[in-house]
Amino acid sequence: MNDFLQNAFGPSWIISVITFLVNTTLILIVAPVTFMMMTWFERRIVARMQDRLGPNRVGPAGLLQAVADGVKMFTKENITPRAADKWVHLIAPIIATAPVIFLFAVIPWGYGLSPVDINVSVLFVVAISSISAVGLMMGGWGSNNKFALLGAMRAVAQMVSYEIPAVIALLSMVLFTGTMNLNLYSGLQGGIPILGATLNDVIPDLGLGWYIFTPVGLVGFAVFFICVLSEGERTPFDIPEADSEIVAGYMTEYSGMKFAVFYMGQFLFNYALSMVAAIIFLGGWNFPGIPQLISIAPPLGALISAFVLGAKAWFLFFVMIWLRGAFPRLRMDQLMAFAWKFLLPLALINILSAALWLTVMKWGSDPKWTVTIAPFGLSLLGWLEGAPIWVRQLIGWALAAVINGWSFYWILQVNRRPADETPAELAQDQAFGAASLP
Amino acid sequence: MNILIMVIFFALSAFTLAAGVMVVTVKNIIHAALWLIASFFTVAALYLLMEAEFLAIVQVLVYVGAISILVLFAIMLTRHVTGEGVRQLYQRWWIALIVVAALFGVLMVPTVLNYEWSTVPPAAAGQPAPISSSVEIGTAFMREYLLPFEIASILLLVALVGAIVIAFEERASRRRVLTLAEEVDLRRRRGEPLAGVSNAAASDTQATKGAQAVKS
Repeated sequence: MNDFLQNAFGPSWIISVITFLVNTTLILIVAPVTFMMMTWFERRIVARMQDRLGPNRVGPAGLLQAVADGVKMFTKENITPRAADKWVHLIAPIIATAPVIFLFAVIPWGYGLSPVDINVSVLFVVAISSISAVGLMMGGWGSNNKFALLGAMRAVAQMVSYEIPAVIALLSMVLFTGTMNLNLYSGLQGGIPILGATLNDVIPDLGLGWYIFTPVGLVGFAVFFICVLSEGERTPFDIPEADSEIVAGYMTEYSGMKFAVFYMGQFLFNYALSMVAAIIFLGGWNFPGIPQLISIAPPLGALISAFVLGAKAWFLFFVMIWLRGAFPRLRMDQLMAFAWKFLLPLALINILSAALWLTVMKWGSDPKWTVTIAPFGLSLLGWLEGAPIWVRQLIGWALAAVINGWSFYWILQVNRRPADETPAELAQDQAFGAASLP
Repeated sequence: MNILIMVIFFALSAFTLAAGVMVVTVKNIIHAALWLIASFFTVAALYLLMEAEFLAIVQVLVYVGAISILVLFAIMLTRHVTGEGVRQLYQRWWIALIVVAALFGVLMVPTVLNYEWSTVPPAAAGQPAPISSSVEIGTAFMREYLLPFEIASILLLVALVGAIVIAFEERASRRRVLTLAEEVDLRRRRGEPLAGVSNAAASDTQATKGAQAVKS
């Protein structure tokens, strides 16, 4: 596109501005349309799970319901409470939603389709998504409402706690692949399940070497997806807006378009993180036939790959709705204990097994990766030096599977044990016999 | 391209400075924190303008994502100051201004006078090359700057352990609050009427007495 514009127009900075404007416009059109489709999809699916029909009157199968909702939101009165901080109240939804739109700038839509290609896009996703917490806090504080403030506090505490296991889960894959560029992840996940792309000269590239089929990727995906549920405030973790306790949390005092912007930010955040999970763990645009199609007809392959990646992201969104239909809401202390006592240690151990797997894969392949540690010239991993790559992959897979499986079981056992009670609590229990209560 | 970059640079730096001034002059402390976040964010944008992507993103991650949230949390948990118009400037603020300006001058004037502008200094022989990407920063941390890196890590670890110790001390002296279900069950067991369950204050004092009796 740059070359074409270079011939048609004058100075190069105009061309940069035009290309970025085109990209931005595309994102700003696609994002709200995706949001509208998502609301319709969620309402229909939840309705089906609850033996209802859901929206089915506006347009075919109720598809235009989102448009009707949009019209309703626009025409609603825009209320600002008299005691609220007017400017903070106004800006909060924007600050909560703008970072989410930012995310779409670095997430590739398919093969070779990324609006901005930066080298550290995984870190970008993590950093930018943490900004929306500021917006939530502004909304909660600026409304000058106790429910709103409580909801904001809950939301931010939850986001901050779940960000850590999410980052560490991503870090295990960053460690293994050695890149933070989201564009490269899909290309690394070709081949067949378990063995990945290591046997590509013998077996045709099936495009199924997804990282979720490896123990490290499986644990990473599970931890990351749970954290996505929590950061996007999906149902088992929708404590910040628990309707039965604190009305609607930080959104209590919002109405009309401001509320819609908050809502859009939340849905798009779910979608963006589903995309990231699909790219890093579910093979990106890989699917049987796609690698061949890309090598034969690149433009068509790119188009189809965008559909494949979109389908994976939508499937993850469907799983989110499914969980919403299936699970009740957690309690605040359960939420925190789950993040800090279960997900965090599991993610840390996952990093260790990723490092081990990487060592087995790389040992002896490069002078950097060959160190003789033992004093008698004996190398602990010396026997690996002649091994073919697929044998290494199998060994690493098995080692990581043993470590991850055992640590999962162990952390589960540790967490099932009742927590040690403090002396004061014990005394209280003895005095009242509360210890025997369920 | 250069003109465009210059325009963006001056707009961003003007906004950074304006936000910084707002931080120290606004009366509402939450507004001050929000202006601080804005200033942090524009500094990240300035880094991005210099093509230091990694640094810019780490700036956002650490300052906007972590420190600002901590600041906001701290302000909101200390209810005394929340939302009140606290005057931040004392009467003799000009003395502070003079001191700060003098210190800034001591630092900046020699730099401005002695530095040759608009040239990128080449890496001296034997010195590490200019650092930009994440790979180079990682290598530098593990090679040239290993000692500072390790010292910082140990300092952070000590802080982490200290925070846990403080939290545990607090927890050891804490009494568990009975849930409503436990309270109801307790009353039923004692044969007391269930009507007064919501009277939490009374049962609270009883619980304290009971705990003290067992302790003594």
